[in-house]
Amino acid sequence: MVEMTKRVRIEILVDAPLSAKLVRLAEDAGITGHTLIRTVSGRGSGGEWQEDLVSGATAKLIFLSVANPERANAFLQAILPLLESHGLLVLQSEVFVVRPERF
Amino acid sequence: MASSGISPELLRALIAGLALSALIPFLVAPVLRRVGRLDRINAGAVAAHYGSVSVVTFVTASQIYNESAFVVAGFMVAVLAVMETPAILSGLLVARNANGTTLIERELLREVLVNGSVVLLVGSFFIGVAIGPDGFDPIEPVFTSGFTGILCLFLLDMGLVAVRRILQTRTLSRRLVVLAVLFPLGNGTIGVAVGTLIGLDPASSAAFGVLAASASYIAVPAAMRLSLPQADAGLYLAMSLGVTFPFNLVLGIPLFRWMSETLGSMSW
Repeated sequence: MVEMTKRVRIEILVDAPLSAKLVRLAEDAGITGHTLIRTVSGRGSGGEWQEDLVSGATAKLIFLSVANPERANAFLQAILPLLESHGLLVLQSEVFVVRPERF
Repeated sequence: MASSGISPELLRALIAGLALSALIPFLVAPVLRRVGRLDRINAGAVAAHYGSVSVVTFVTASQIYNESAFVVAGFMVAVLAVMETPAILSGLLVARNANGTTLIERELLREVLVNGSVVLLVGSFFIGVAIGPDGFDPIEPVFTSGFTGILCLFLLDMGLVAVRRILQTRTLSRRLVVLAVLFPLGNGTIGVAVGTLIGLDPASSAAFGVLAASASYIAVPAAMRLSLPQADAGLYLAMSLGVTFPFNLVLGIPLFRWMSETLGSMSW
């Protein structure tokens, strides 16, 4: 049986232009790894959005990261001011990882 | 420029371009507030788009003008580059009182000063200066005979994007549609007049008018999403990309040429 360790998975739907700021805040919180995933389109309280490959202004990315609870909490505290102003969608869930020292 | 160097004409055009890009948002914002009935944040965001420029509109105008022996000066690409960003700061100033947040953050500065389009424009300009006519010869087929076809394909795709923008927006009123036509007419007229007054040749004056008339839909929307996230992205993209962009392509480009030739033929 492989030993698994509990960690926190963070997913954030973010406007593409804001993603650099999110990455910086994650690094400030000690989160060293992340992945940005492109999205195609969607619909939310603000209406429809989609990646038009021209302006990129309404494009959204998914910021995905796994961290230990302390770092995850520090990161989520740091992005609190952006939740309302930039309409971020933040999801947090428990995951199990094989090599916990990496997160 | 590779052969002529930095001329007084270029410097005058750069200064005029900077000034026009910074001033236009202050001209259109009050109209957006009173006639368009927009709040200060949306007025600032939309105004920034109209102060900045559309690369594709400029490239299309240059291509059309050049093919009919109405040749735009090469240095107008540099003018295009400097007109990209001042309007962003002006638009933020218009919206500042209502926004109440930090005006300029690190990410915004990066987006404004070294966004992809500015880097490519400035970079290609200096590459052109460095390689000169001899260096251009080997790549000439792509940028002359092949370029029109590539531009056509790109414009067809842009047309699809523009139509989607109009269909998706929920806040584009008739008043704003009218403004999205009147702004390029007014700004373009100012641009042609300024270009003529500072001594540009008729083709470059017409191109200057096209620059003033065009509205950004690449650099400015990204900056607005960062700094004015409360502004309605669907609205400013529908106006700049859905209405002003096709208007300039169909009517603006020939109109500003006519204006420039008419002004140029007058004796001062």
